[in-house]
Amino acid sequence: MQASRARLFKEYKEVQREKVADPDIQLVCDDSNIFKWTALIKGPSETPYEGGVFQLAFSVPEQYPLQPPQVRFLTKIFHPNVHFKTGEICLDILKNAWSPAWTLQSVCRAIIALMAHPEPDSPLNCDSGNLLRSGDVRGFQSMAKMYTRLAAMPKKG
Amino acid sequence: MDQKEESSSSSVFDSCPICLSSILEESYLDQCFHKFCYSCILQWTKIVGSKHCSRQSFVKCPLCKRKSSSIIYGYDGSSFQQHLIYQNSDNSVFFTKTHKYRLQCYYVEPGNSIGNINVLRYWKSNKYRQPNQWLYSWVSREIQALIQEKDVDIIVHHILGAIDSWRRNEPKASKLSPELKQQEFKSMVADVAKPFIRGRTDRFVNELEMFLASGLNIEAYDKVYVNHMGWKISEITTEDDEEPNERNPLIPFLCFSDEDLDENT
Repeated sequence: MQASRARLFKEYKEVQREKVADPDIQLVCDDSNIFKWTALIKGPSETPYEGGVFQLAFSVPEQYPLQPPQVRFLTKIFHPNVHFKTGEICLDILKNAWSPAWTLQSVCRAIIALMAHPEPDSPLNCDSGNLLRSGDVRGFQSMAKMYTRLAAMPKKG
Repeated sequence: MDQKEESSSSSVFDSCPICLSSILEESYLDQCFHKFCYSCILQWTKIVGSKHCSRQSFVKCPLCKRKSSSIIYGYDGSSFQQHLIYQNSDNSVFFTKTHKYRLQCYYVEPGNSIGNINVLRYWKSNKYRQPNQWLYSWVSREIQALIQEKDVDIIVHHILGAIDSWRRNEPKASKLSPELKQQEFKSMVADVAKPFIRGRTDRFVNELEMFLASGLNIEAYDKVYVNHMGWKISEITTEDDEEPNERNPLIPFLCFSDEDLDENT
């Protein structure tokens, strides 16, 4: 308990210091609970998510960093490895391949990388995975782009 | 800007990747030598170990994923301690304290000689022509300690077979000087053992030579060795501390200076 708190506090200080360094990620700690964080990440360029801003919710376990944080998308996203309804993310480093050397910041970076490189063979969103697996890249991209526009971009006007 | 650079780079080099604080009880993984707090990496090792139903004898480095089989800690400039990963697992039944001490030997410099063991005399007196009845058990334990596997029979047979056939063919080439004999023997053993123990080969050959030259059985040899290193290992030293001194006189007794003694065997 104490160890995870101390470590999260270190990460908090690091985030404050590096705010300018990574313009694609904005990590914010809950005002009252250091185990709850949210992040805003920019959709990577040259992907259907470009121009969108996606919100992630972190729930950090007390055994952190020996156990991985739980992360999910709060913003709706059409992606083979993200559950369309719950926002759950299928990413090895959040499960078996977790290493205590990861930080919340680097997890965000890994999620951005996953957005740019979907793994259609282990889908949480089967519709999205099937489009990619059947080779319909255009179909996938237009769906993903539509949801980016609907959910991850500021409404016009 | 400069300030920021400085502080972030110092945090990379001096902080533990697990707790992100400055390192307490500096420790290293034995393959990649990445640095952690001892308690942090130990905890991580336990978490990883509890996750797998099949026991594992290694831990993957949190930074580079290389597999290490031990954590090195308590380094004070001349000595260190080692926590072996499989200590908590079933494997530990075969891996005894004496295996641990043998493995530890490979992490320290033994100096030129141990006790009264005289390696050169071993070669000059043709003592090497006699088979050593304890060699099988000794090599067996040594290989077990080095590769941390229980079943090493094949490797041991392979090494001993090579030594035996070298010994059988040796008289035909007996014109070589003892020093050349020694070289030939050592490079032969090194060639045979290298595929199995790789980087530790040269040291293994020296340890093997030292054991053969001692003419002692394993128990007595261990006592002399441990005594020489100044280690306290309950399994080896406690019986009574006086004993190594009593046994030391055995060594010169066993080193026959007369070459002819060996001719009949």
